[in-house]
Amino acid sequence: MKKVILGIALLAATATLWTSCKKDEKSVAPPEPGNEFLTTVKLVATNANDPSDVQTASWKDLNPDDLTPPDTSLAKLNLHANAVYNVQVQFWDDSKTPSAAITPEIQERANYHLICFDMDGNLNLTVQRTDQDTNNPPLEIGLQDKFTTGAASSGNLNVQLRHQPNVKNGSCDPGSTDADVNFHINIQ
Amino acid sequence: MNTHSRYAKGPFVFVCMVVLLAVLSPLAGKAQGCTEQIRGIIRDKDGAAIPGVSVMLSAKDTLSATSDVDGIFRFRDLCPGNYTLFLSEVGYAGVQRRLSLPGADSIANITLAEGTEQLREVLVTGQKRQEIATIAHVELAGNSLLEVRGKSLAESIKQLAGVNAIQSGPTLSKPVVHGLSGNRVLLVNNGVRQEGQQWGNDHAPEIDPFTADKITVLKGAASIRYGADAIAGVILLDPAPLPEQKTIGGSISAVASSNGQMGTISGMLQGAFDKKLSGLSWRVQGTLQRSGNFRTANYYLFNTGMAEEDFSAQLGYKWKFLNLSASYSQYNAKLGIFRGSDVGNKEDLLAAFARAKPITPDEFSYKIDRSYQSIRHQVFRAAAEHVFANHGSLSLSYARQQDVRSEYDIDLPYTSDSSLLFKPQVQFKIVTHTLDLAYKQPSVNGFSGIFGISGSTQGNVYSGLRYLIPNFRNYGAGAFAIERYETGKWMFEAGLRYDYRWLQVYQRNPTSLELYDNTYNYNSVTGTAGVTYNFNDHLSLNANFGTGWRPPSINEMYIQGIHLSAARFEIGDSLLKSERSYNTTLSLNYHTDKLKAQVDLYDNEINNFIYARYIGVVVNSKGANPGYQYTQTNASLLGADITLQWDPIKQLTLFSKTSLLRATNKSEHDGLVYMPPSRFLNGITYHLPQILRLDNAYVTLENISVLGQRYVNPDADAIPPPPGYSIWNARMGCAMPLGKKTLDLNFSVDNLTNLAYRDYLNLFRYYADDLGINFTLRAKLSF
Repeated sequence: MKKVILGIALLAATATLWTSCKKDEKSVAPPEPGNEFLTTVKLVATNANDPSDVQTASWKDLNPDDLTPPDTSLAKLNLHANAVYNVQVQFWDDSKTPSAAITPEIQERANYHLICFDMDGNLNLTVQRTDQDTNNPPLEIGLQDKFTTGAASSGNLNVQLRHQPNVKNGSCDPGSTDADVNFHINIQ
Repeated sequence: MNTHSRYAKGPFVFVCMVVLLAVLSPLAGKAQGCTEQIRGIIRDKDGAAIPGVSVMLSAKDTLSATSDVDGIFRFRDLCPGNYTLFLSEVGYAGVQRRLSLPGADSIANITLAEGTEQLREVLVTGQKRQEIATIAHVELAGNSLLEVRGKSLAESIKQLAGVNAIQSGPTLSKPVVHGLSGNRVLLVNNGVRQEGQQWGNDHAPEIDPFTADKITVLKGAASIRYGADAIAGVILLDPAPLPEQKTIGGSISAVASSNGQMGTISGMLQGAFDKKLSGLSWRVQGTLQRSGNFRTANYYLFNTGMAEEDFSAQLGYKWKFLNLSASYSQYNAKLGIFRGSDVGNKEDLLAAFARAKPITPDEFSYKIDRSYQSIRHQVFRAAAEHVFANHGSLSLSYARQQDVRSEYDIDLPYTSDSSLLFKPQVQFKIVTHTLDLAYKQPSVNGFSGIFGISGSTQGNVYSGLRYLIPNFRNYGAGAFAIERYETGKWMFEAGLRYDYRWLQVYQRNPTSLELYDNTYNYNSVTGTAGVTYNFNDHLSLNANFGTGWRPPSINEMYIQGIHLSAARFEIGDSLLKSERSYNTTLSLNYHTDKLKAQVDLYDNEINNFIYARYIGVVVNSKGANPGYQYTQTNASLLGADITLQWDPIKQLTLFSKTSLLRATNKSEHDGLVYMPPSRFLNGITYHLPQILRLDNAYVTLENISVLGQRYVNPDADAIPPPPGYSIWNARMGCAMPLGKKTLDLNFSVDNLTNLAYRDYLNLFRYYADDLGINFTLRAKLSF
């Protein structure tokens, strides 16, 4: 008889535990508003000899976690031949309204970030980073750059944001990729 | 830095060598014949012999015997020394007895009749005969378990034929049985089905292997007793039974390894009360483990350290025909993820693969930096059993598990909100309640059986900065029956189980943030039928057919995004159906004093097998990654496991374990990904004669050869499988009686030639070599 009582007692205790659990899973936590996703890479090129000549290009993928292809319709930059441009590389979260700027956070962590550029061989463009971090000795960052164009040509410019915690040495090799996008550059 | 820490290992290794040489130096001692034996008769309280009880003897190796028709069991040709005898039988409690040979009062010949009545009432905590006896199984206990102390669960059982481990670096590994892992392999720890986040390849089981006294791997569809899912196998971890005598006993184990400069200490204390508190027994146990960066043959693996702290407590009370028990355990771990595996896209991965050596700092450190995982797993279990006069029993057990896993990515999140900065990018909390009621039918006229019902509920709360899997609630209910009939040389058994599972998934619409849910119902039948024929005392054949099912797991249904460290973009499919397996195993056992052989052949045909299929390149802001979509196919896994042990002369043991597997995707006509390639383990052990006061002294040399995996779809993986390799391991050990205490010592060298190699089942083979040479000293003091 005792076993029956004990069994019932245990069952009752369990049932209590069962029903008393909070159903935490039903209240799905909404996305953290302050958490930003890198959706957009922007190039803002200002002609060094003509501050009114500002060209922009942006590469956008608003849904990085699904299969929709990125929006590259604006990832094109028209530059004058034989000119010098001061270029800003900007990172944005455009999935938010208003858009959230990520560049300041990268600037804050500049000591382990590096922007790397790579271009098609036929593109007459040289890129020089003009900003430096606070490593000792200081290393380039690449958020601010100087683009020098040659004769008319066109091709792809690859822009990468490299994440290099404790291993930044000026080279693009160490670390991992945080962003890797292509822009079409037209020099005319 | 590098050279400094490398030399720092020197004195440590030297000390180990001196200790072992001192212990083993009288190698040239005179040989002594091993002619002792242990004999016993197993009877119930009425004096009737109990046949078919499995008896294990732990010494240099774990020997096993089964009581014959007259209840008699026998171990022959034993060397003088200390032994522990374990007895187990369904419906009876496990018993453990220590004896030494030759015994002063010839206690080598023991009769357990007087203990049987008492046995029946003791708490059943383990050592039970497995519920499905006709299925192929292998186990690890005694010295074989001592030899792997300090390793993770999956690494500990990897040496068994047909068992493997899928790894993400040196500290994260999960067991693979007959080619399958994750949810397809059930872990049952101290009677509780482990419920963590086992779906991820980089989610190691949240278990302290030191709590187990015996680990059994059931290979095949063996999940009748524990629920659906286990279409590949079940791993049972059983603690030793709680003590009956009032003396306080216990053990302390210490393990020190050169690689990773890893230290492990584990202690256990147990006892029983008498007089007014008679029947009450207890055990407390705890483990601490710490390691720094592990080292391959040529370089350190940066940020591969780990820290683990575990403890458990167990209480048992036996009152007349009632056995009550309660236990609580906690597992806490912080596991560093190799820095070289942090990649953003496939180009990073290919660049890392192309390098001869990772460009991460090549230095030793105990520091665990980002990326890392932090895990806490807690289990509470309460059980009650009533033993009836007819030896049948009714048991009820309840368990609550909570698993909290936090994963921190290499980079801090992009945020201007400082409260978010140090939050884990991924966090899961899963809470599971299970209730089981089982009736064990007494053995009458050769029939015995077990019937039961079970219920469970599980809630998963995901709170991460990036999406991985959704929240869900799971309800499960099941009923099962297993019946066995033994007559003469035959044993027949059959089992049937029905499970129902209700799953509700909760999500928010990403733009409107509106809550919505999806509900899924799964139900199906698991069945098994098997037969054992004992040709004679030495030769037996098991044949088993089992069919099992597994509903899709949450990641297969809902994962979406880049899998960091694998450079894969994965997409789930919420409409996946359940998998259905048809598993046939044939197991031939031959046992004599000189030769032991076990050959297991299996054919596991799985319909609707869920796997990730390559769908082309996926481009997002991180660059281009190969995309994989979870889908279903029909798969076939055909394999053989062969275990041989031959003692040509008394002092020498030759052993061999072979695991072969051919896994095919039947609809695409090529191999399945991440299937273990053919593996051959061969070795020789020299047993030293008893010298000084050392028992069971031995020296072993073994070779592990693994072939390259040739049967794999080239699209299934970023890079082709690595070539095969062949590594050498050596170890020696002995037991030293210190009065009533025993000190077990073991010294091993893994990867003796410090070979640089990569293993196909180590997912970090893209980035670095596997581990280099490792010296380990293990000591266990039992008192």
